Amino acid sequence: MNTVLLRRTWRSLAVRTLLIALGLGIWGFLMPVVYAAYGAQFKAMFDSGAFPQQFAEFAGGDVFSLPGSIALGFVHPISVALVSVYAVGFAASAIAGERQRGTLEVLLARPTSRRETYVTLLVACLSFIAVVVAAQIAGSYVGAVLSGVAAEVAIPNLVLLWCNGVLLYAAFASIGLAASVSFDRLAPALGITLGVVVISYFMQILGTLWPDAKGLQPYSLFQYLHARDILSGVLRPSDFVVLGVVLLAGVAWSLYEFPRRDLAAPA
Amino acid sequence: MNAIQANGLTKRYGRALPAPFHRELVPALEDLSLGVREGEIFGFLGPNGAGKSTMIRLLLGYLHPTAGTATVLGLDSRRDSVAIRGRVGYLPGGIALYDSMTGEGLLDYLAALYRRPTPRRAELVERLEMPAATLARPVRDYSRGMRQKIGIIQALQHDPELAILDEPTEGLDPLMQLAFYALLDELRAAGRTIFFSSHVLSEVERVCDRVAIVRRGRLVALQDVPSLLAHRKRNVQMRLSGPAPALLGIPGVSALESGDGFVRCQLEGDMGPFLHAIAGASVTDLTIEPARLEEAFLEFYAEDIPATTPSAAGRPMLSRP
Repeated sequence: MNTVLLRRTWRSLAVRTLLIALGLGIWGFLMPVVYAAYGAQFKAMFDSGAFPQQFAEFAGGDVFSLPGSIALGFVHPISVALVSVYAVGFAASAIAGERQRGTLEVLLARPTSRRETYVTLLVACLSFIAVVVAAQIAGSYVGAVLSGVAAEVAIPNLVLLWCNGVLLYAAFASIGLAASVSFDRLAPALGITLGVVVISYFMQILGTLWPDAKGLQPYSLFQYLHARDILSGVLRPSDFVVLGVVLLAGVAWSLYEFPRRDLAAPA
Repeated sequence: MNAIQANGLTKRYGRALPAPFHRELVPALEDLSLGVREGEIFGFLGPNGAGKSTMIRLLLGYLHPTAGTATVLGLDSRRDSVAIRGRVGYLPGGIALYDSMTGEGLLDYLAALYRRPTPRRAELVERLEMPAATLARPVRDYSRGMRQKIGIIQALQHDPELAILDEPTEGLDPLMQLAFYALLDELRAAGRTIFFSSHVLSEVERVCDRVAIVRRGRLVALQDVPSLLAHRKRNVQMRLSGPAPALLGIPGVSALESGDGFVRCQLEGDMGPFLHAIAGASVTDLTIEPARLEEAFLEFYAEDIPATTPSAAGRPMLSRP
């Protein structure tokens, strides 16, 4: 790994990371606060039958319990969009964006192998994801403490949720980086990565709202993030295995493809 | 040992696919063999698309050769490209820089990636007139010429054994070009090797010891500059106050034109017979233009190039074929 490149990558994205971590921290903070303030009323509304039961189970989250509310915050489009700044945006542009701008020329003119460059950018991407996911979970815990409901969740389970969340977005990031090393231009790399995330999310949400579409969920990577179950003490190792396999497949493709590609002069 | 040695280097773009997906591979470089001696300035000439950048990219490992081999400083360009890049300074053509960084921050960053000191930085910054105030500004504020200067500094600041420079004077004003040529002379005197790709013929003629000329990916000439010029035709003009000398049939004389008090012709090779023939003539003015690399170059490209265009600096440059 190239520590000079890693430091420069970190430095160039430090402000953005701080802002996104702050945003996710605030978002995470709101979930337990909303649960503590309105959870009972929401439960009464849904129990009355005024709304279909599926709406109370949005992508595996709810507002009737602390684990459910934290899980809802995790799979909400706001959270997905903010973490995707790294899992999609950074990953897809890490190589293809530099290639399109022409700056990869200067970087690869140094005694740095393509694999070393890739691994450094992968580590940078995973560390950004780890930080922003941690910020959201930390925000949720602070919200739970200030709302007086922190006893409903165990800290070790929060750590497991962090691992599961980081692994989910790391899997997306490895797909993004695999696309990034495979193209000379940003648009196809970004399009493929964004497409994978959007379709995956769509299949997951469709499956939770429409029972007939449940068969689609195993094809969605979001299906392998069971935030509420983890916070309730139920761990599914198979989730970690599936996400780990996707992550490793993306890394393997990138390590194979990037060094053997011809990098013609930028247009 | 040669600093660069290419043997049958061939590059064709594209991937060989089975039918019905088969597409013709695009040839960029064909069976190119050349050697660049240590301590020389070697010019690599050709118009855009002739294969100059492809050659450089093969040497540095950006591209993988379809056939043939190359060594740089004794290292194999495929196997040892990382080690090669550690000992080479490279200026890409039309260099792109990180716009958000300051000039100084960028130079520091690129030097840190080499993990080597930068003994030539201060001198280069001074010679190329990049004062501290300029280096403190973000690169996005830089003009084309200033970006090129940063490109040159980043390529040479760590005092590499071999510098590979792709169109290094593009965007530099004439004064900076002179400063750059002086730098090249000093690097040569210090034993460094320069591989210099250009389509500006006058600068190649001025700074290079030897030149290679590529045409459609093939090497068509590899000579030292004086040898290349020795057999070129020179334009001769004479003004006379008496009868014209008999030049018809004189060895080396061609395109003879004469009129009222003047003679024009072209002269090739040994000047002795020509001087002997005009010895008795009453010549009032004689102009023999020196042979130019441009003419040698255009001879190789006569079939391809309809015209030459003057550059902004008044130097001959090749138009795009």
